[in-house]
Amino acid sequence: MKTLKMILAAGAASLCIGLGAAGAQAQSMVFTSWGGTTQDAQKAAWAEPFTAATGVKVQQDGPTDYGKFKAMVESGNVAWDVVDVEYDFAVKAAQDGLVEPVDFSVVKRDEIDPRFVTDHAVGSFYYSFVLGYNPDVLGDKAPKSWADLFDTKSFPGKRTFYKWSAPGVLEIALLADGVAPDKLYPLDLDRAFRKLDTIKGDIVWWGGGAQSQQLLASGEAALGMFWNGRLHALEQSGTKVGVSWEQNLTAADMLVVPKGAPNKDAAMKFLAQATSAKGQADLAAATAYAPVNVKSKDLMDAATVATLPDQHAAGQINLDMAYWAANRDAIAKRWYAWQTQ
Amino acid sequence: MVMARSDTTIPIPTRTRRPMAGFGLVLPGLGLLLLFFVLPVLALLLRSVLEPQPGLGNYAEFFGSTTYLKVFLNTFTVAGLVTAVTLALGFPVAWFLAIAPRRWSALLFGIVVLSMWTNLLARTYAWMVLLQRTGLINRTLINLGIISEPLALTNNLVGVTIGMTYIMLPFMILPLHAAIRTIDPAIFQAAALCGASRGQSLRRVFLPLVAPGMAAGALMVFVMSLGYFVTPSLLGGTSNMMLAELIAQLVQSLLNWGLAGAAALVLLVVTLALYAVQIRWFGFGRTAG
Repeated sequence: MKTLKMILAAGAASLCIGLGAAGAQAQSMVFTSWGGTTQDAQKAAWAEPFTAATGVKVQQDGPTDYGKFKAMVESGNVAWDVVDVEYDFAVKAAQDGLVEPVDFSVVKRDEIDPRFVTDHAVGSFYYSFVLGYNPDVLGDKAPKSWADLFDTKSFPGKRTFYKWSAPGVLEIALLADGVAPDKLYPLDLDRAFRKLDTIKGDIVWWGGGAQSQQLLASGEAALGMFWNGRLHALEQSGTKVGVSWEQNLTAADMLVVPKGAPNKDAAMKFLAQATSAKGQADLAAATAYAPVNVKSKDLMDAATVATLPDQHAAGQINLDMAYWAANRDAIAKRWYAWQTQ
Repeated sequence: MVMARSDTTIPIPTRTRRPMAGFGLVLPGLGLLLLFFVLPVLALLLRSVLEPQPGLGNYAEFFGSTTYLKVFLNTFTVAGLVTAVTLALGFPVAWFLAIAPRRWSALLFGIVVLSMWTNLLARTYAWMVLLQRTGLINRTLINLGIISEPLALTNNLVGVTIGMTYIMLPFMILPLHAAIRTIDPAIFQAAALCGASRGQSLRRVFLPLVAPGMAAGALMVFVMSLGYFVTPSLLGGTSNMMLAELIAQLVQSLLNWGLAGAAALVLLVVTLALYAVQIRWFGFGRTAG
């Protein structure tokens, strides 16, 4: 009995010490993103300076999984404090009550590009869908417009598109078919699928960034639609890549705080750090994705700025994430029906 | 001889005497399965009749949609094809493993098992690189002048079948090998002595004896193929999308858990039915060969 009491006492004492330490300095929070080089860059640009400034440790987790996200919030057992998600999911999650509103007394809303901030989410970075091609396969013919992706006579070879039902492919089909950028939404699905039907046999699909790079670099696909950062990475690795920015389509990753996140206060401060001019400038320099903070460019060198999507603002089209959030289920149904035909 | 046994007074030890003996040892494993497999599956299935409204709406949607039915059919086509090809390729290997000299069979056994120790994703990407239009196989064939246009070996049914057959082969070979190994070679002598031709000996002696091994291997490969995800996703085209891919999309991206639960239940019921058929035809204890 005596020993048991001693063990209990020792346990309680160590528990108190543990709690005290946690309260005083070792507070921590969890940041979840997609892994790979992007999350490494987010860790270096945001998490490390954040810990240095506030003493709050940032644990990295990932990859982001919307199923897990929803399960955590529904069960009230939330392990994540800040999560990097796609823009259309961020909008949908806010509508479904899965995320906390952003505290704009902590985050400076006026510094963020209004395209990439909502009441419930702030931009993580933004990027563009661009036309990429392999010059070794196409020779001296350089495709320029989205219509060229559908022109199998002038540009023979397989073309690669994003596999899943998501903003991008349908817009590209409509633009290629001659729809004016300001008349894109609501999407004319019949027309988009009719246009895609014309090249269905020539499409190879990419399900993730690494696969898109593999398809283009090997020449398996002569041309296609790509995330601009992935083409930039290919160029950096010494692969010859052609890029056309004509009518590049912007999309973004957003940072959200799941409803019931255990360290909400720290999370809001983390959002402020991530969207700060410096945080966004450092991330952009490492990834070639664009900063959402309008003041970041002043902090970046000219060579880095030249690689960013905002150098190609002329003709740039913003994918309508509110439209997608409202229609993603209906579009997905049509999308998979068409794909599996 | 058999009759004599029933006359003897020595009690025959039977398995029915203490049916629950050793059950306690099963409990931890059973508990783990119950907690981390059965309960979550039940929860998902409950969602299929509760979300978004209580009722059978999700099942109506599943069976009313040509997309889901086509994907469902695809799944069984691919699984059936993979099973047939694995059986055809695995049988000679299993046979050789059973009759070859020990040293040779040990080496071959090592090769068969070694492939299972390599990461699935790495293996699938390797196939992608081999099979694509600009891949090693097509380039070699073109350089040799055998073909002029690259063959379509990937992003279609051919790619999925090749990739999955390769991954499933060990699961066919091992039970087949186990079944073949236990056959006493003297039995074929006996058959020949009784006047059986080689063909009769094969059909009426050998095949019935290896049938349980074939059934076990085929069922294992078929059922594992039904739930496959990575390989069809990377080597298949969208027109042979399999159910697991669609369920993953529903769960992770579209957050339509009700419909995902319905699709999962349909797949589960069909799989269990197949398992029941196997037990009925070949017995439970012999499924392992």
